[in-house]
Amino acid sequence: MAAINSPTVEAKAGETSPRIEPPSDVAVQTIDITKRFGDLIAVNRINLTINNGEIFGLIGPNGAGKTTLIRMLTTVLPPTGGTAIIAGSDVRRNPTKVRQNIGVVSQAMTLDVELTAQENMELYAKYYDVPATVRCQRIKELLEVVGLADRADFTVGSYSGGMKRRLELVRSLVHRPKVLFLDEPTTGLDPQARVAVWDYLRKLHREENITIAITTHYLDEAEALCNRVAIVDYGKLMALGTPTELKRQVMGGDVVDAEFSSLPEEAFSVLKDSEFTIQIKRHGSTLTLLVKQGAEAVPNIIELVNRKGGRINSITFRQPTLDDVFLHFTGRSIREDTAITKKRFVSSWSAMRR
Amino acid sequence: MERDAAMKGALWVCERDIRKFVRQPTVMLSALLGPFLMLILLGSAFGGSITHVPIAVVRESDGPYSSAFLDIVREQQNCAFGGVNCGEAFRLTDVPSLDQAEEMLVQGRTKAVIYIPSGLDSGLSKLNNAIFTVYLDNTDPMSAAAVQAGLTRAATQLSTQVEIISAHDPSITLDTADFYRNVLYIEFMAPGSLVQAIFIASIIGGGISILFDKQRGILEGYLVTPLKQYEIVVGVLLAGVIKAMFSSLTMLFLAIVVAGVRPMADAAGFLLVIFTLFLTGLGLISMMTAFAVRAPAPEVYQFTSFPINLILYFTSGAIYPIDGFPDWMRQMATYNPEAYAVHALRLLMYKGASVGAVAGDLAFLAVFTGIMCVIATLAFKRAL
Repeated sequence: MAAINSPTVEAKAGETSPRIEPPSDVAVQTIDITKRFGDLIAVNRINLTINNGEIFGLIGPNGAGKTTLIRMLTTVLPPTGGTAIIAGSDVRRNPTKVRQNIGVVSQAMTLDVELTAQENMELYAKYYDVPATVRCQRIKELLEVVGLADRADFTVGSYSGGMKRRLELVRSLVHRPKVLFLDEPTTGLDPQARVAVWDYLRKLHREENITIAITTHYLDEAEALCNRVAIVDYGKLMALGTPTELKRQVMGGDVVDAEFSSLPEEAFSVLKDSEFTIQIKRHGSTLTLLVKQGAEAVPNIIELVNRKGGRINSITFRQPTLDDVFLHFTGRSIREDTAITKKRFVSSWSAMRR
Repeated sequence: MERDAAMKGALWVCERDIRKFVRQPTVMLSALLGPFLMLILLGSAFGGSITHVPIAVVRESDGPYSSAFLDIVREQQNCAFGGVNCGEAFRLTDVPSLDQAEEMLVQGRTKAVIYIPSGLDSGLSKLNNAIFTVYLDNTDPMSAAAVQAGLTRAATQLSTQVEIISAHDPSITLDTADFYRNVLYIEFMAPGSLVQAIFIASIIGGGISILFDKQRGILEGYLVTPLKQYEIVVGVLLAGVIKAMFSSLTMLFLAIVVAGVRPMADAAGFLLVIFTLFLTGLGLISMMTAFAVRAPAPEVYQFTSFPINLILYFTSGAIYPIDGFPDWMRQMATYNPEAYAVHALRLLMYKGASVGAVAGDLAFLAVFTGIMCVIATLAFKRAL
């Protein structure tokens, strides 16, 4: 499954020509940022700009390069080519300054479960040299925002998964960073906890006046939270825009989902070649078609399939979602990769032994 | 928010480790159990004297000399070094025939057989040479040595008695002067246990906690904060040393209270003990930290740290004097930092030695610790 060529991306990349002094309304700007691990190019000349106050989503399947990109933006990994300017400082030339201006919530749970929430917060405040005079007040106010103030003196070990995530969120904000980076903030949480984390994120975004960059492979998450999203695959920027823009760019039509109990090869090729089909994808017993007009296409599809001896169990059409955008730009469904995420703790161990 | 003082970050990293440590004291205390039991059990088992060794006696001659000899043997007392834990050294059983005695030896019911041949008494009365034959079960070298020593003593005593008949009161005595107070075996062992407590603390408090931090991404988490790499290294090592000191001082307390160890160091000596423990702790913590962060897998670290403990501990002279080692082990001891630590601690604790006496040991430890600190820093930076 090769990536589909996208003229839109090239146009975007050309637009953001390297600027040494980004204007003050830009929180993050990457300039041809690249990371090679030997022969593997994990991130390949990505140019993108995140504006101040934005919630920006970075979506892509596992191994697409989004975590590597975040690690470079947060100064953990040095780029092998290009650079990035975060809140006015260059990640290569002045990583210390960058670190003072960013907050990071990594994929792995890095709270100390033996310590209380208060202690976890205090230690981070000390790492960031938050003056003792404002430390207490700041911690109290942050814990209140995420509803943990009354549990401040409980050890984190007694917290639920959602509470831990919330605590990690506010821990990364003790020093009032300008940009907050979140790597897969809701992975491993149950649906209710996820929605709660989203709510708290929106609240923090509003109250703290910060720019947020999120990586995720949950497209609903990107759609629910982000002003703009970038689709990354094979280390490249495949598309960039607001969710609505992207959908409009790609689609100009409707999405038909059809489930078959049998679909002869002949039927598939006829559907593929028919004039109403813009794009067609098959996953096991289901087909996803991108069509010009859903209402018109559905009866045609049923008739075509029946004529070729196939059997349709169900067929629906709908407005496109980010899922479909993703499918369009990467040639694959993002869900095909979600099973891999369970391995992330293992891979984080081996990733650290470079 | 610029940092106003260098190394402040190290304090915070250290604070985190110590807070976690204090929250779970059982971890370190359970780790101390091993070295502590070793001190109590090994110290008590080896430190005692060998008493009540069963000996079979086959008498084919029944005269005043052989009776006197057996009485001397019977009256012998064996004590632990320092004249404590005394007890009847041998328990004699008369056996009618040599065959029967031999059988007892084979079955392990006796550790030795004294054979008094016929004509011994009559020969001695003519001032001829007399030969008592002793068969030893030398598969138990310790009992055999005790029997040999006891019977040789008895023979010497008997020959003086024989001489008394002809000569006039020669009365040979050996006067020994103790330079120091007598040190029990368990006390001899105690310095090794202090050092072992440090080592165990560095396996657990140094290495394993770093492995966990690395695995959970906490080390990487440090990298997105303004903490400097050297601050992280210094903080981690500092916390490790504090934990090691806590561990060894707890062991010292237990050794004094439970094992009856009586160190005779004065205040200055005690400070030197603390300094020795600190140097040893920093060196071992650095060594194990470097190993932990560079280990190919956490299991490799966990499985090899125990054998490393065995090698360092048993070649340190902690349980037996290094002079008694075979050459290859003596060689190992010359490179073993624990050997220098044990040596220094023994001098400080039981001889009230001054700085001069332990300067050589401390110099070796300082060099070792310096090298290990550098290695740990480099290993840590690469791992970060």
